Amino acid sequence: MDGKKKSSGQNVIETEITMGPVHPAALEPYRVRLFVEDEIVKDAEITVGVNHRGIERIMEGLPVEKANSLTEKICGICSNVHIWNSVMVAEKGLEIEIPERASYIRVIMGELERLHSHLLYLAHGNEVLGHETFAMRIFYIRETVMELLRMIGGNRVQYGVSIIGGVRPRCELDEMRIQKIKEGMDFIEEKVAEFADRFVSDPMVMSRITGVCPIPKKEALRLAVSGPTLRATGVDMDLRRDMECYDPFDFDVITLEGGDVKANLLMRVLEIPESVKIIRQAIKNLPGGPITDRTWEMQDTGVIKSYVEAARGRLYHSYRLEDDRVRGSIVRTPSMSNIGAMQYACIGHHITDAQLGIVQCDPCFTCTDRAIQIIKL
Amino acid sequence: MSLKSYSRARAVHVMLVYTGGCNGCDIEIVNSILSPKYDAEQYKIFLTWNPREADVLVVTGPVTKFNEEPLKKIYNAIPEPKAVIAAGACALMGGVYKNIHGDIPSEEIMGPVDKIIPVDARVPGCAVRPEDVLSGAVAALPKLLEAK
Ligand code: SF4
Repeated sequence: MDGKKKSSGQNVIETEITMGPVHPAALEPYRVRLFVEDEIVKDAEITVGVNHRGIERIMEGLPVEKANSLTEKICGICSNVHIWNSVMVAEKGLEIEIPERASYIRVIMGELERLHSHLLYLAHGNEVLGHETFAMRIFYIRETVMELLRMIGGNRVQYGVSIIGGVRPRCELDEMRIQKIKEGMDFIEEKVAEFADRFVSDPMVMSRITGVCPIPKKEALRLAVSGPTLRATGVDMDLRRDMECYDPFDFDVITLEGGDVKANLLMRVLEIPESVKIIRQAIKNLPGGPITDRTWEMQDTGVIKSYVEAARGRLYHSYRLEDDRVRGSIVRTPSMSNIGAMQYACIGHHITDAQLGIVQCDPCFTCTDRAIQIIKL
Repeated sequence: MSLKSYSRARAVHVMLVYTGGCNGCDIEIVNSILSPKYDAEQYKIFLTWNPREADVLVVTGPVTKFNEEPLKKIYNAIPEPKAVIAAGACALMGGVYKNIHGDIPSEEIMGPVDKIIPVDARVPGCAVRPEDVLSGAVAALPKLLEAK
């Protein structure tokens, strides 16, 4: 992959280590081939496609509301952001202005989901590191977020909050719910700060993750990495700044240097308080009024595109509407663009770090497995 | 209770196989066994990733074409007595992926799970709730304990 990292010794035999598709060490089905010389990874190849369900094909010709619900089933981690973006595609095409209150509720859901995704990443990362105590602590914090999500959406994973024109009536935030969210945010902020203290002051963990599997800024840009993985390499890029619904909120985009496992883990730790900040602002300034606009009319549109910043990176949805039906749908998920980074991160490092190198890019292979075409750079 | 079933009930190993769902069910199952809140480990239910060590196989997802063979292999690798739990709407009836178009058959989805391997307990939900996963595991236990 990289010219500089060619093998040096003549008589060292390159061994291939293959993992997957179903393998004890990998939760999700994917296939990794590591080419190893002297315990150093010389090349890595990640293949997806095992759980290809053909979501775009299933979406073809469905009524738009049904197709939107289906997009939620692309990924069980970032389900809300999929339906949000898919609904936004239709709203852009039909020129629907959603009520302000609905937009605030969507942002609250989006940020809660970011919290749960980041906490899951931290727990998973710590488990791969072998530090189960930290993983358990994080799972404990994450439970609060899941309870809040269940309270608003009615389910722990698939919430179905957004519909064309606003949010579902059952997701209205009343006084009791707002109070619960406030309490939850206080709890999360306190516990995450405690965890961060313990985490950075643990010399064992720090020496294990510092400088492991770094991705330089230049490579990250070349490989089109997105999301927190990109920000951990020092590139200041966050689509939330360009999204209309985030305009009323004040938050910082955090960047770190290095792109190694440490930077990636800390990136998530530091982004959690920012999400908490956004949610606090949203519930404080929550405007009144209706949450759904039902006055829109269906019409045919051209191809419409929409990007949002999901928890793990940039998410792209596009389709066109024809006789109330969805045609030519395309979805590109964050992990798709991060696969290159996963392969790159492993190369040149010890084989025991390979799993860490893959996990540090926040992989979610379920949402990646769709019709894809790989263009060689 | 015989000595055999007594000792079997002390260490129930659950293996999770993921056959192409959306990841929602998997995380909930891992969560319900590992996380401090639901914590199935206190009932001596452990998570394992090795089929030869497992007693209970939890299958999620609608079984895509590529996953059919591995699923059978894993099922055969688990020693007797074994129980299979199908978790989630996908595993039970193919979920949205198979059914959203009505009667039109899908070439990608080979599920539901009970077409491929015998299923002992069924846990509904999309995604499954951790409480239901625990009761599903409890429902599958008699088969393990009463086997010779
Ligand atoms: S049942 Fe629902 S949550 Fe579970 S894998 Fe299927 S689509 Fe995902």
